[in-house]
Amino acid sequence: MSTVAITPSVLAPTPAHADLRQKIFQVSKLTLFYGVLTVVGIVFIVPYVFAVFGSLKPESSILTTPAWVPPTHPAWSNYPNAFISDPQVSTGFGRYMANTAIVTAALTTGQVFFSMLGAYGFARLKFPGRDAIFWVYLATLMVPNIVTIIPLYTEMHYFHMVNTYWGVFLPYALGTPYTIFLMRQFFLNIPQDVIEAARIDGAGDFRVLTRVVAPMSRPVLITAALIAFVFSWNNFLWPLVIMGSQSHYLLTDGLANFNSGPGAGGYLNLLLVGSVITLVPMLIIFIVFNKYIVRSIQLTSGK
Amino acid sequence: MKYKKWSSLAAAGAMFAGTLGLTGALPPPAGASSVVKLTYDLWDPHEEIGYKASIAQFEKAHPGIQVTINLVAYSAYQTKLQEEFTSGTGPDLFWVNTPWLSTWIKDGYLLPLNKYIKQWHVNLSIYYPSLVSLHSYKGKIYGLPKDWDTIAFFVNENYLAQHHLSVPSKWTWNPTNGGTFLSFLKQATTDKNGVNAASSKFDPNNVATYGVTIDNEAQTGWENFWQMDGCHVIPAAWASSVTFESPACYKTTYFLNELMYKWHVAAPGTLLGSNGEAPSSQDQALFAAGKTAMLMAGDWELTPVTELVGKKFKIGVAPLPSGPDGRWSVFNGLIDGVNPHSKHLAQALELERWLGSPASQKIMGEGGYIWPAVKSLDPLFAAYWAKHGINVEPFLEEAHGNVVNWPNTPGMNQALTDMGTTMGPIWLGSESFSSVTSILKNAYGLANHDLQAAGA
Amino acid sequence: MALAAAEVAPAPQRVLRTGRARQKRSGLSEFLHALPFVGPSMVGVFLFLLVPVVFVIVLSFLTWSGAGPFTWAGVQNWVSIFKFDNAAHSLEVTAYYVLLNIPLQTVLALGLAVMLNRKRRGMAFFRVLYVAPYLSTPVAMALIWFWVFQPQSGAADRFLALFGIHGPAWLESSLWAMPVVAAVNIWQYLGFNMLFFYAGLQGIPTSLYEAAQLDGASKWRQFWRISLPLLNPTMLFVLITDVIGSFQVFDTLYVLTSGGPGTSTQVMSIQIYNVGFQGTRYGEAAALSVLLFGVILMFSIGQFLFFRNRTTYEYS
Repeated sequence: MSTVAITPSVLAPTPAHADLRQKIFQVSKLTLFYGVLTVVGIVFIVPYVFAVFGSLKPESSILTTPAWVPPTHPAWSNYPNAFISDPQVSTGFGRYMANTAIVTAALTTGQVFFSMLGAYGFARLKFPGRDAIFWVYLATLMVPNIVTIIPLYTEMHYFHMVNTYWGVFLPYALGTPYTIFLMRQFFLNIPQDVIEAARIDGAGDFRVLTRVVAPMSRPVLITAALIAFVFSWNNFLWPLVIMGSQSHYLLTDGLANFNSGPGAGGYLNLLLVGSVITLVPMLIIFIVFNKYIVRSIQLTSGK
Repeated sequence: MKYKKWSSLAAAGAMFAGTLGLTGALPPPAGASSVVKLTYDLWDPHEEIGYKASIAQFEKAHPGIQVTINLVAYSAYQTKLQEEFTSGTGPDLFWVNTPWLSTWIKDGYLLPLNKYIKQWHVNLSIYYPSLVSLHSYKGKIYGLPKDWDTIAFFVNENYLAQHHLSVPSKWTWNPTNGGTFLSFLKQATTDKNGVNAASSKFDPNNVATYGVTIDNEAQTGWENFWQMDGCHVIPAAWASSVTFESPACYKTTYFLNELMYKWHVAAPGTLLGSNGEAPSSQDQALFAAGKTAMLMAGDWELTPVTELVGKKFKIGVAPLPSGPDGRWSVFNGLIDGVNPHSKHLAQALELERWLGSPASQKIMGEGGYIWPAVKSLDPLFAAYWAKHGINVEPFLEEAHGNVVNWPNTPGMNQALTDMGTTMGPIWLGSESFSSVTSILKNAYGLANHDLQAAGA
Repeated sequence: MALAAAEVAPAPQRVLRTGRARQKRSGLSEFLHALPFVGPSMVGVFLFLLVPVVFVIVLSFLTWSGAGPFTWAGVQNWVSIFKFDNAAHSLEVTAYYVLLNIPLQTVLALGLAVMLNRKRRGMAFFRVLYVAPYLSTPVAMALIWFWVFQPQSGAADRFLALFGIHGPAWLESSLWAMPVVAAVNIWQYLGFNMLFFYAGLQGIPTSLYEAAQLDGASKWRQFWRISLPLLNPTMLFVLITDVIGSFQVFDTLYVLTSGGPGTSTQVMSIQIYNVGFQGTRYGEAAALSVLLFGVILMFSIGQFLFFRNRTTYEYS
């Protein structure tokens, strides 16, 4: 049998064809690449767009028009209406936002301040039991949040702090192990000479911390403040458990509660207003402080 | 340098405390006026408007008393009040709903009023007798009845007219063949092609309008049907166990499942939120959108439903059909409880007296907020709604007929919640009779556990 | 004053400043000196982390209704949670959620991280875009998704209707409810996890890849043999935190289904909330909490052991 020799020259396309095919292959790979990323991106953006559209629709069209259709006559009045009073409750999202702001301010200042003190103590001070105590702190990181909700509630019950602002932020405002851990890492890396120089000038530890170390640690302090702020703003279960009266509700509880009760189904557009109001500060923080957020992730994973 | 350290710390502490000062955690400045401030807890934002009007009159008549109304979400109500009572910060006056009534009486949250009723010369016969007995225990009465409600159907009159239907005046139902109730529902349910459920060409997968919604809820849903078939939740008030482990209960509940999933004349519970309990009032939304011809609801829902419906169609009211044991409706009424440890007991009692009086209930009735517990004032409520184009007499008819109270025994609130979750599957899909039976048996065990945990 | 052992190291600068009198500091005075610094957090950790852990275990053997006295219940609560509170079912449902959530999320996050690890235009933009949901208040997002997944009137079913598909009832369907909850959670945290993997990938020196390229290894092989093993520490971290997080899922689930339909999404955290705060059976809720804690611990230890033998920290 004679076999036809299949030589490469028979099969190979001409150089010109090869170039073109390469190019088409590259272009389609690139298109696919960006296409996938864009589709994924759309999936990420879609709920925000829907929420903004929906929040501007009047009651009559919120259930009848699809979410991706923008409102024909934006009902801008939905926003001030939801702020002042919503039909479900006699307090509006304005009140919830004020509550959330108060609690968040207290929690953030407390947490950053006391964590800073604690981190400095663990990083730069020597005292008996220091490392053991720090290990205990780290160990508590393993305790899931949900496990402590019930006993924490019982404690607050005995401190008479249920349905108070104190009750909401106090468990988190005295410094948390995670924040202390982050800051301690940072403080450990501050050169000893800087601290010595300050000490030679006669500064006590508190001054060293506030005048020297803290200004040098702005990145980690900002990160810690962001973490605390976001945590408090988004916190749901604990405020839900602690707060009873609607006038004390935070944004998260107000939102969740809004979705139940007489006539709630028809006020969907106002509910979306509340969601948008709640989300806007977080989105602003995200855009402005993007670098710090990424850094905090790197700090954590770099452990 | 020590003093500097401590002063810096002190400065920081002061800043921190300053922030906290905003929280109102610190006490208000001294020098408050001699006005007595009372706190009054309630949960319904629609009725709140009426109460504000009534209380305004009270404050005019009592210039030394100011009342602050606290709106508390219904789902958080029991916990919040319990919490406050145990830490000694309970409100002076507060709404009491039947699921918590006995627990709160037992735990001492409610002041018995016998002595004061004598002092005020209140004649208890002006109220519905069943409301008085509901709120009494061992000879003591714990509040002046102030309102009542029954359950009936809201009806989309335009839709019925369109389909040449009218609600039968004396309709009946039974778990075997559904009676005239079922045949009406079949005619009232239409698919997307306009074919109604009585026809063999009916397409159950493409229903445009269902005949009715019946929630997975005791007061506005199944307890009415249970009672009409001789099935009871508890044998009597303050019972220590539930008693719905009976064939009548199984048959009736199965009938409700068949209405949704065999004959497709009742909206499937999947449209009513998880467990078919309509927590976001999905049933009201469906009715207002014309997706159901009737809505089984209580009269306190008149305000939200009319707001949702707007000018879309005329709303009518139809009474419940009669079951094998006659026609029954769940009958409930609230009282305002007086906190025995109130710091302003005398003033709180004044408010209680006012809110239980015909004068205050006239305001609530005239404004269409709720049926007054004072029998003679009922026409006011009916007149308000007649002016707004709705005939609410069927609610009143039922109040004068057979009524059963919402179950009243310690731990009942928890039991009802757990029953709702356990019975959820019956609303969410087609179930066989035996699976309905076993679901109810589970609910029975769980409800008893809840009653025991509450020391019933 | 007693001197603590090796921890007392005289600080030279103090000797300079105040003379020999201050040469050695006692353990106690060191402790007191540090107290204003670590004191507040110690109070916080003790009161709000340590005491609760001990107390929840104790509470699981008591009966308490949120008011009134604590009474001894022995093992009754532990029996009740299985007999009446569906503990076994809730554990199952929670495990189901974790299984739906974690593998898919990890793979997707890794895939996106690999894709975005190139030097192409717009990579930074996409990275920022994908992480945005991470900060967004879960309750608010869940409400938006709740609306999207409403049967018939929601965007999801309307979108399917465009193609003539009659969408399911999503959150009202015991088949779809949990997958929807898992999908929402994946949506929320995908970008965040991707960032971890991205940071991990960035930490791998390109020289390794170049060397492999020279040896003729395909991109896939490079991934499998270089990237993946060197990502083990990141993988471990991501998996452990994600699993712990998943076991505790609450916000999204509460808003989307509250445990329904029926009990098909009734995870442990929802049951703890229901039994404790709605049912006022705090002793039983405490038992559920301890049970959950035990399961999470077991899982975390298991994961840690699994990865410990496979983790490569050093690479030349």
